[in-house]
Amino acid sequence: MKFREIFRFELAYQARRVSTRVYFVVLFAFGFLIMLAAGADTPEEVAFLNAPNGVAFLALMGVVIWLLLTGAVAGEAGARDVETRMHPLTYTAPVSKADYLGGRFLAAFVLNASILLALQVGLLLSSLLLGPFRPVGHLAAYFVIALPTAFAATAIQFAVAVRHGRAMAAYLASVILLVASAIAIGMAGLFQQRELARLVDLVGFVSIVREQEASSPIEWNTRLFALEGLMLANRLVWIGVGMGALAITYRCFRQDFAHAPGLTLRQAQGHPERSRGVRERLVRRDVQRRFGFATAARQTLAIGWTSFRAIAWSRTGLTLVGALAFGSAFVSTEWMLHMEEIPLLPRTEEVLAFYAPSLRTVETLWIIIPLLIIFYAGELVWRERDAGVSEIVDTAPVPEWALFLGKFLGLGLVVTAWMLILLAAGMLVQVVLGYPEFNMRLYLTALFGFQLADYLLFVLLVLVVHEVVGQKQLGHVAALGAYGFIVFAPRLGIQHKLLVYGSDLGWSYTPMTGFGPFVGPWLWFKVYWSAWALLLAVAARLLLTRGREAGLGVRLRMARRRFTRATAWVTAAAVTLIVTAGGFIFCNTNVLNAYRTAADWMEQRAEYERRYGQHEGVPQPGLTGINLHIEIYPERREVEIRGTYRLVNSSPMSIDSIHLAPAPGVATGEATFDRPVARVALDDELGHRIYSLEKPLQPGDSLELRFDVRHERRSFTNEGVDASVVANGTYFTNLGWLPAIGYQPNRELSDAAERLSHGLAPRPVIPSLDDTEAPRARVDHVLVETVVGTDEDQTAVAPGALRRTWTDVGRRYFHYVTDTPIGNEFAVFSANYAVREEEWTGPAQKVSIQIFHHPGHTQNLDRIARSAQASLSYYTTQFGPYPFRHVRFVEHPGRARGMHADGNTIDYREGFSLLNPRAEQDPDLPFAVVAHEVAHQWWGTQLVYARVEGAGVLSESLATYSSMRLIEQTLGPEHLRRYLRFLRLEYARPRSPAMPPLLRATDSFLFYRKGPLALYALGEYIGKERVHEALRRLLEKHGGGRPPLPTTIDLYRELAAVTPETFHSLLHDLFEANTYWELEAEQATARQTGDGTWQVTLNVKTRKVVVDSAGVEIEVPMDDWIEIGIFAEGDEPDKPFYARKHRIRSGQQTITVTMPRKPTSAGIDPNRLLIDLTTADNITTVRTKS
Amino acid sequence: MELHIRGVSKTYANGVHALKDVTLTIPAGMYGLLGPNGSGKSTLMRTIATLQEPDEGSIRLGELDVLRQKDDVRKTLGYLPQEFGVYPKVSAENLLDHFAVLKGIGERRARREVVEALLRQTNLWDVRKQKLGGYSGGMRQRFGVAVALLGNPTLMIVDEPTAGLDPAERVRFLNLLSELGENSVVLLSTHIVDDVSELCTRMAIIDQGEILLEAEPLRSVDDLHGRIWRRVISKEELPALEQTHAVISTKLLAGRTIAHVYSDAMPGPGFEPSEPDLEDVYFSTMAGHIGRRPSTSLRTGRQRLEPTIPS
Repeated sequence: MKFREIFRFELAYQARRVSTRVYFVVLFAFGFLIMLAAGADTPEEVAFLNAPNGVAFLALMGVVIWLLLTGAVAGEAGARDVETRMHPLTYTAPVSKADYLGGRFLAAFVLNASILLALQVGLLLSSLLLGPFRPVGHLAAYFVIALPTAFAATAIQFAVAVRHGRAMAAYLASVILLVASAIAIGMAGLFQQRELARLVDLVGFVSIVREQEASSPIEWNTRLFALEGLMLANRLVWIGVGMGALAITYRCFRQDFAHAPGLTLRQAQGHPERSRGVRERLVRRDVQRRFGFATAARQTLAIGWTSFRAIAWSRTGLTLVGALAFGSAFVSTEWMLHMEEIPLLPRTEEVLAFYAPSLRTVETLWIIIPLLIIFYAGELVWRERDAGVSEIVDTAPVPEWALFLGKFLGLGLVVTAWMLILLAAGMLVQVVLGYPEFNMRLYLTALFGFQLADYLLFVLLVLVVHEVVGQKQLGHVAALGAYGFIVFAPRLGIQHKLLVYGSDLGWSYTPMTGFGPFVGPWLWFKVYWSAWALLLAVAARLLLTRGREAGLGVRLRMARRRFTRATAWVTAAAVTLIVTAGGFIFCNTNVLNAYRTAADWMEQRAEYERRYGQHEGVPQPGLTGINLHIEIYPERREVEIRGTYRLVNSSPMSIDSIHLAPAPGVATGEATFDRPVARVALDDELGHRIYSLEKPLQPGDSLELRFDVRHERRSFTNEGVDASVVANGTYFTNLGWLPAIGYQPNRELSDAAERLSHGLAPRPVIPSLDDTEAPRARVDHVLVETVVGTDEDQTAVAPGALRRTWTDVGRRYFHYVTDTPIGNEFAVFSANYAVREEEWTGPAQKVSIQIFHHPGHTQNLDRIARSAQASLSYYTTQFGPYPFRHVRFVEHPGRARGMHADGNTIDYREGFSLLNPRAEQDPDLPFAVVAHEVAHQWWGTQLVYARVEGAGVLSESLATYSSMRLIEQTLGPEHLRRYLRFLRLEYARPRSPAMPPLLRATDSFLFYRKGPLALYALGEYIGKERVHEALRRLLEKHGGGRPPLPTTIDLYRELAAVTPETFHSLLHDLFEANTYWELEAEQATARQTGDGTWQVTLNVKTRKVVVDSAGVEIEVPMDDWIEIGIFAEGDEPDKPFYARKHRIRSGQQTITVTMPRKPTSAGIDPNRLLIDLTTADNITTVRTKS
Repeated sequence: MELHIRGVSKTYANGVHALKDVTLTIPAGMYGLLGPNGSGKSTLMRTIATLQEPDEGSIRLGELDVLRQKDDVRKTLGYLPQEFGVYPKVSAENLLDHFAVLKGIGERRARREVVEALLRQTNLWDVRKQKLGGYSGGMRQRFGVAVALLGNPTLMIVDEPTAGLDPAERVRFLNLLSELGENSVVLLSTHIVDDVSELCTRMAIIDQGEILLEAEPLRSVDDLHGRIWRRVISKEELPALEQTHAVISTKLLAGRTIAHVYSDAMPGPGFEPSEPDLEDVYFSTMAGHIGRRPSTSLRTGRQRLEPTIPS
């Protein structure tokens, strides 16, 4: 009865609150709009958002919002009595603990459940609008995802609120809960405990994402995620946590006044009051009081300091950020990794990539900083009112601006302290990882320049929001809304950076360029937003609640009175600054540069296809020679290029017009020809020009085309800063800047959904393997001659051999010439380089190896040189001669860690120099990457392949396979084993088994992982010499880049030619079908025979399936030769004592082997050559029977 | 320095008419504002203390327009609200020092002296290092007084200050206030008649937002001389007595009821003349026999009375 009344009263009380209604509206609106916004342009063949899993995913997002938004519901229920000092009345009422707490909690839970129901109703309504509608998905999302989370979260919020007697503690609890769950998931991930991650995940995020990764679109659309297995366990875990929180609350709750939280038990020791009742003289001291600016400034400082202390000295003020920062520093060995495996040198900029993320990204642990700012801003704004001293403070002679600014200062100091913590943590990472080279200037600039400025702008915004809204809970809702807007504005279609508070074009630091060209635009944007912040601060001063009446009407009336001459001046100054800085920015983003949204770019590409697509395939002359004169002005960030193309008609038809496609982003001048032409079309907006030749170009004839290209410093656009030309580290490519010949299909829209919405005919992303046109495409082989001028202290690099270098009026010139034709893809570099030179001498040729690198980045130079030499030695003997006289490695700015190969030049970004594999356990990845890139000089440069499905197998798979064999040859089998383990890691990642067969491969997993592993398996079956022979023949027959270009069919033919009949089915399974083997060693027993040998009996269970690209699984009968391995004491993990291929059929099978040594373990396919998603069960221990 | 309140009215959003055309002139010295709970005292005090806006009317402090020149008023103001809290985790000394800065005492040494003097005067010196969260109600009240006294205010507004104090503390506090009243305007609101009679040179009685009487306490007591009569009755006799006489108050004494009756002449047998005190002034005013309240029927006058007299 009492329970019911407490429940009823609480529910009714909270239901009447404005904030409660706002929660309902916000979550309903989110549910309704998110699906419409996200689902609007979903084409048919991909995952539906209103499929059960899609609904679940959106519900998850809603639950996160709910968690951050509505802490007050449970908080109020748990702490209102203490906060309003009602508790002496309620605690003394004859109500049992269970009734009191139970009623309150249940009311909060019911309310939260209803709020989440509003979310589901919103999703349901928009789902109805979108089409195929499955209510069961909504039910599942609500009952499986939302409700258990709501129960656990409400219980924890409630427990914390009761414990601390403060409703707001519930908010903090939500933030901590969310971050803790994220950390738990992250930690589980770091330690490769994927199952555990799913268990500790509060909202069920990991499970749903896993579901998405591991299912094909068809599965995603049709399957209902089930409440079973880990999902069920996860839900039970969290319900258990909720129950636990309630139990603890019940146990610890004391219904007596003295135990009311927030009250200190220890009463001040009342002193015997001397002179009791005696008349006391009031000593009037004439204290000097001044009320000028100086006093106000001092008051600001005093308020700032007490505000800072109030937060910093509180339990969570500095400790949360500190625990996260230092905790992550201590486990940095687990995340300062490349591809989760290879350690990185923790150079300061790399450490900062973790500790100084943008405020506008949510995919970081440090999302806790904005969330804490929102929380503490609310606490500060309401500090006096919550403590009951507001009437005293409000009547003190302190100007409104000092009251506001003081709090800004206080919270600003807190953020500064956080930055200090992050700085210390960053240094700790470097110490923990044994690389204590602190770049203090970088730390200070990044954390106390860029990051702090961003956070301070945010602090101000949030303070203003809280101050203006004038109601604490609603203030939180509004502040979270503002934060959400800042983060998600681009995704909501608001892309102009002048419209999203605090935004900028981003910044980055690399050792080569420093902060480079990012500082200027960043400063402009920050000036602009600071001016807005000033204006906001003025608004806050005018609308500051002071005194009893907090209604907006009263405050607006008051604002008119507070608007003094000084206010007017400040406002005018702010507006002037906004107009000036905003004008400057606008000038750059919209006037000097065309302002284009993502949609505009799409439309432009669509229009290009619509207008000029008709010219696709029109015969055009081939490019055979390029002559360039390039002037680079690094400081001015400008480049001028004068160029000549030599074009030859290699087609059997005469050509009457030349189609020229100038590159976007640079200014291409008028093209001139060595013969009369008429300009038919000039559309530099879309990038297409047509010149008609007065006299058609006959087959075999050639012509010369002259052009000039200017890259001007056009400052910045809304999309960012163009950093291709910088003071140190200029890098550009011919494909990026020079005009191309003919219509360029690669500039068309390729995304299926985009094509559909722009009314373009569907086309595959890449032509089918059966396409007969693509292999006939023209391939340009060009001789390039370049003269590059740059600053005197820089070195410029262009393709070919350096003929001459000279200086002329303070500039240095380099003359490069290629002696052999290269592919029409090359880059030009200029920077302050140090050069490492080596030479490789083969039996028939000499190759010079050059490494142009940033002077400080010497980490992997030895590896590069060693790998290049080894590669040249091995590949020349295995595949054929190296076609150039040098191989060149050039570093250029950027954090990426891979390499990229053009003909004879391999370029890499600065991140490569961070790779730092441990000698004793890691694969030598830098060595492998270099080996891979050098292999491209055969697979890609010599073997030019057709751009059809499977193309990546001919380039990347062959290059990686080559590097595997090189590592085996040079570094030994142990290193190969490590490299194989590294490559197979990708298989441990959840992934839908639905994919095309290798011959038709279209994604990088197949190119870089499955392809090389398949070739390796084949090599292990038939001998690597045979595979090499096949590759050599492929190169002999199809190398040289003459159409028709080879495809995977040609590779397959050569492989089949060297493969014995027995293994043709294996070849088929590896390359022609998407086959999975399910191999399991069920049991192994051994018995010593009379003569001292051991008889081993191994039971295996096997199955083979083929999965098509839609995810349909078909079992196929198996009759394959598969290795059986039996290990004896002391065997290496890939070298079983007994290793022989047995013929294995589907189902259960028993294999009996006799061997002289005592077996320890036995298994099927112990070297994991076949594609089996669960290889852990391949081997089992041998039980010995006497 | 005088405080002039002219025609101040205030109606709250919920329809409560808190102040009705209040006009008062408050000279330097102690001024008592007497009225029952909910009479509009606090609204008036807060309005003078720059915390609230009236709907109409003006308030001037000397040359200052209180409603417009709030910043200037705050520089001369000391305000002790009826209810206030403290930051529980801060010591009295630190918080008082903080308020001293807010009150414009910038210089560190002067501030330290002022803080010390006030802590001593409010008898908090020995507990100055303790967290305010551990203070008793009376200590907290004294702390509030110390805050209000910071910076020698020339306008002191104290709203029901003695409510939470024990008798000794109350005396100390009133002494402090009367010291201050020698040079400043001290406005003291209370429902405790004794506070006013002991301290104030002038007073006003307010009820339902209206000023019923503005007077000097001593003179108003004098004016009542010969008009207050008392009679000891039993509880059952009271209704009959109220029917026939203007009973302004009753109180219990040793189980018997003593009724005070307002009458220009001897009201009848059993009555004896009573020496009037300020309490009688208060009740007579509330009943409408003196002051601005139109004299109502005897019954209604009596019924409205709440005996809120302290022992």
